[in-house]
Amino acid sequence: MEKTIESGDLLDVKDLYVNFYTYAGVVEAIDGVSLLLKQGETLGLVGETGCGKSVTSLSIIVLVPPPGTIEKGDILLNAGDKAINLLKQNDRTLMNIRGKDISMVFQDPRGALNPVYTVTQQVGEALLLHRREEMCKRVLQNLERDIPEANTLKRFIYNCEKKIYEKMMNKPKSPSLRTLSKIPIINRYQGRLRNEIRKEVVELLRIMKIADPERVVDMYPHELSGGMAQRVVIAMALSCNPRLLLADEPTTNLDVTIQAQILLLIRELKEKMKSSILYVTHDLGVVAEICDRVAVMYAGNVVEVADTFTIFKKPSHPYTQDLLAAIPRPGKEFKSIRGEVPALISPPKGCRYHPRCSKAMPTCALVKPQVAEIEKGHLVMCHLYKR
Amino acid sequence: MGMRAYIIRRLLLLIPTIIGVTLLIFSVVQVLSPEQRAALYITSEQQADDIDAIIEKYHLRDPVYIQYFVWITQVLQGNLGYNVKSPSGRVLQNIINRAPATIELTIIAAPVIILSGIALGVTSAVHRDKLIDHVTRVTSIIGWSFPSFWLGILLLAIFYAALGWVGPGRLNPDASVFIITPPFTRYTKLNTIDGLLNGQLWITVDALKHLILPVASLTVQSIALIVRVMRSSMLEALTKGYIVSARAKGLGQKEVINKHARRNALIPVVTLAGMLSAGLLTGVVITETIFSIPGLGSYAAHMALPPPDIAGVLGFTLFTGVLFVIVNLIVDVAYAYIDPRIRLG
Amino acid sequence: MKAKSESPTIKELKFVITRIKKSPLSIAGIAIIGFFVAIALLAPILARVPEGQDNPYRLPRSGWFSEPQPPSPEHLFGTAQWQYDIYYGCIWGTRTAFRIGIIVVAGNLIIGLLVGTLGGYYGGIIDELLMRGTDIVWAFPGLLLAMAFVTVMGPSLDSIVLALILVGWPSYARVIRSEIFRVKQEDYVEAAKAVGCSDFRVITKHILINAIYPIVIMASLDTGAIVLSAAALSFLGLGPPPGYADWGQMISLSRGFIYKNAQDPLGYWFTWTYPGVFIFTFVLGWNLLGDAFRDILDPTLRRR
Ligand SMILES: Nc1ncnc2c1ncn2[C@@H]1O[C@H](COP(=O)(O)OP(=O)(O)O)[C@@H](O)[C@H]1O
Ligand code: SF4
Ligand SMILES: [Mg+2]
Repeated sequence: MEKTIESGDLLDVKDLYVNFYTYAGVVEAIDGVSLLLKQGETLGLVGETGCGKSVTSLSIIVLVPPPGTIEKGDILLNAGDKAINLLKQNDRTLMNIRGKDISMVFQDPRGALNPVYTVTQQVGEALLLHRREEMCKRVLQNLERDIPEANTLKRFIYNCEKKIYEKMMNKPKSPSLRTLSKIPIINRYQGRLRNEIRKEVVELLRIMKIADPERVVDMYPHELSGGMAQRVVIAMALSCNPRLLLADEPTTNLDVTIQAQILLLIRELKEKMKSSILYVTHDLGVVAEICDRVAVMYAGNVVEVADTFTIFKKPSHPYTQDLLAAIPRPGKEFKSIRGEVPALISPPKGCRYHPRCSKAMPTCALVKPQVAEIEKGHLVMCHLYKR
Repeated sequence: MGMRAYIIRRLLLLIPTIIGVTLLIFSVVQVLSPEQRAALYITSEQQADDIDAIIEKYHLRDPVYIQYFVWITQVLQGNLGYNVKSPSGRVLQNIINRAPATIELTIIAAPVIILSGIALGVTSAVHRDKLIDHVTRVTSIIGWSFPSFWLGILLLAIFYAALGWVGPGRLNPDASVFIITPPFTRYTKLNTIDGLLNGQLWITVDALKHLILPVASLTVQSIALIVRVMRSSMLEALTKGYIVSARAKGLGQKEVINKHARRNALIPVVTLAGMLSAGLLTGVVITETIFSIPGLGSYAAHMALPPPDIAGVLGFTLFTGVLFVIVNLIVDVAYAYIDPRIRLG
Repeated sequence: MKAKSESPTIKELKFVITRIKKSPLSIAGIAIIGFFVAIALLAPILARVPEGQDNPYRLPRSGWFSEPQPPSPEHLFGTAQWQYDIYYGCIWGTRTAFRIGIIVVAGNLIIGLLVGTLGGYYGGIIDELLMRGTDIVWAFPGLLLAMAFVTVMGPSLDSIVLALILVGWPSYARVIRSEIFRVKQEDYVEAAKAVGCSDFRVITKHILINAIYPIVIMASLDTGAIVLSAAALSFLGLGPPPGYADWGQMISLSRGFIYKNAQDPLGYWFTWTYPGVFIFTFVLGWNLLGDAFRDILDPTLRRR
């Protein structure tokens, strides 16, 4: 049966399972996760380190690294008139979706940039992949403008270039173009495209509020500060106006002040671009600032989903309650959660939180709880709540 | 910053290395008696009669540092001594005469080894723990364990003795005669190129045919190291964050490997490729001896045989040392080209 | 309790052993080396030393005829030029190979330890000087330098061994030095110095015990390469005189016998095949083991 998706929804993750096959054993990293993302909303994904937040977001862009494999589940993406199941697509389709419809920002911005290429080269790569036509069109416009004013020789050259670029727009993969691009001197024609791309990258960096973008575009990653690098990575992710941005702890590795700036930036961009964001973090403070709804993850399960206000005012799952209690706040005693996230090679039976849960009952150690919708749009996975 | 400043800095750093290398070679020779060492300074047969004068003139009984100074002055003037063994004559001249055969061999062998080693290493890494990976690794270990001289003998036995395809030497006898007979002009002394320049394609073909076995023999011995380092550095590169982020942009597996992973993985391989190119001179000693190629390697082997020709051995070793230093410089520049962090750091 | 008291060295060793057991290549390597150990030990039984010959490494010969003779019941692998017995040479050559490997590795280790420990422990200008020297020797193509050494010392097996010792130590010195630098940072060495242990005791007791482990492995890896280099020098005519039980020397003897005649081009195959197979297999054994070790110890490829 064809899987469907509501028109107001952008992404529907259904019953996802991901395992890692390591020498030490099978790590059951994602254990039946379901998530729904609406058009234009920001969903926070919170939980301690090791809960499977990164693996979840990597699954959505279908890039779980080996030895990990997606065991089962569906990831439906709204494609206008129909839903496409990302887990059933071939590589070519996925390559078209990645970077264009879905893009990702990583926790370690320096690691996400290739040390041997400049900022333009790396951001431009995405433009070349998904906005080639638009870039070629700009080159053609420039040529149209220049041709009437050029002398005969130049006019001849410009006309040749025009032919090449027209071909590039229509048939970018044609073998003749590939041959041309390898011939020295003749391949100078690519300079125009390169210039256009560089201009666009400068523009993107300016939007990211990077000072002196003209200089920064030609820098290598090691010349950038952490904050700058993260802005570049965000610019790269947003360069093709994705409908979904996966932000995997984009501010965790940055200084507090830089963190605040990046957060502000993301909030502004969100208003402007109307993209949906899956914002992964372990910091509930950040969630309060930018998320519309929140999904709380624990040890490979989504244990509670609700809108941000409800999560803070009426947290229902014991883990959410404990997480909130662990936030240091002035005038309030804070309690860190006892124990730690279990190794998922041999996860606890029943409810995975039971060894740490203060409200655990005998059934908790035996039976895996079902998800209950305790109010409209408020889901909890805990034996304390009946369906 | 800039490439030029970087190169100049590297060049300056090479001076102590050159002094070290020459000093090392020179110290080795101190084992010999002054009379034997006098051979270093003889430039003609007539002089050989007057050993004592030479010992006197070049301070061969004085402390090492004085001798070293005298020697390096001579070397800088292009005087590397005189070969008493055949071909007798000035060492420098003999080295120059012998160099083309070796250059032709190594200039073909080095790229073959380095490029195929890199390609195999990448394939092995990309198909990690698959059949092709195991096969590549086992065969390269086997090649690496082959005694080079034995490999040469086996190749000659199969292709020369049994199949009669191609004999030892640089050319067939008729071709060898042809190239020293006018109007054939030996512009470069590289037979492959001279054949083309003279419009005698068959000379080039014959020269290439004679190069196949020696190149194969050099390749089999040295490729394993490149394959192994390339493989492990590629495996490491593939785990890096920028690989995931490149794929997240929408790049395909092939582009990610060729553009993002390989360039980074090449960084450690550059040093190795440089060492290997210089180290080819070692392989050449044996390969040329077996395939009767009149190059520097067989020259060195000949000079080393008892009774040794000290000037010849020293000259060759010095030549290697200098070549090595030059290769090092090339490696440094290649590094800076590949890895922007070095250029600026 | 017991598991906790294990030193990191022992734990490392256990890890390596379990990994070796899982790798068929390293098992093949160990089997090959074991086979050669057996040959070396049983040499006097496998190839009897003729009556009245005091040096077992001299090959018995059955005449002065120059043409090699094919295998026969008296000469299992045939005879080489001047009628040296190839079988005898292959068997006793195993002992020569082990002897070269062990002595050269030990020599490299001693020089490397000396240089590396001095540099690593004292640091500063001493270290700087020693390391520059190490770099120069290390950088130079080893076999060529060894060839120069042998040439001036005069061809013989002893010269080859000495030359290989003189060119092979730098890699050991480097590893030992960096290992010492690493260990020096660790607290217990500081503590030992603080309570007044002498320099010497600190070096031997705390540092060497930790640093020695990678060294032992490196040494085992080097053996194949060393035997190969020695054989190459022998082959070039810089080794022992003809008639000595040395594989390289035996192949050198066969150089003139690659081609026999038009009827039987490979008629002298036995002269170069047997000694070649011996060297090749011996080196292969060490290299297989070495490759497995390197994989196991490569920090970038470990444990996953
Ligand atoms: N490459 C991997 N190999 C083995 N296990 C992994 C790998 N990546 C993640 N995991 C496991 O998956 C679980 C979730 O990890 P992750 O998604 O990175 O957590 P988070 O992002 O919430 O901190 C962890 O238990 C981790 O051990
Ligand atoms: S199911 Fe039981 S153990 Fe799990 S969170 Fe609810 S109460 Fe706690
Ligand atoms: Mg994470």
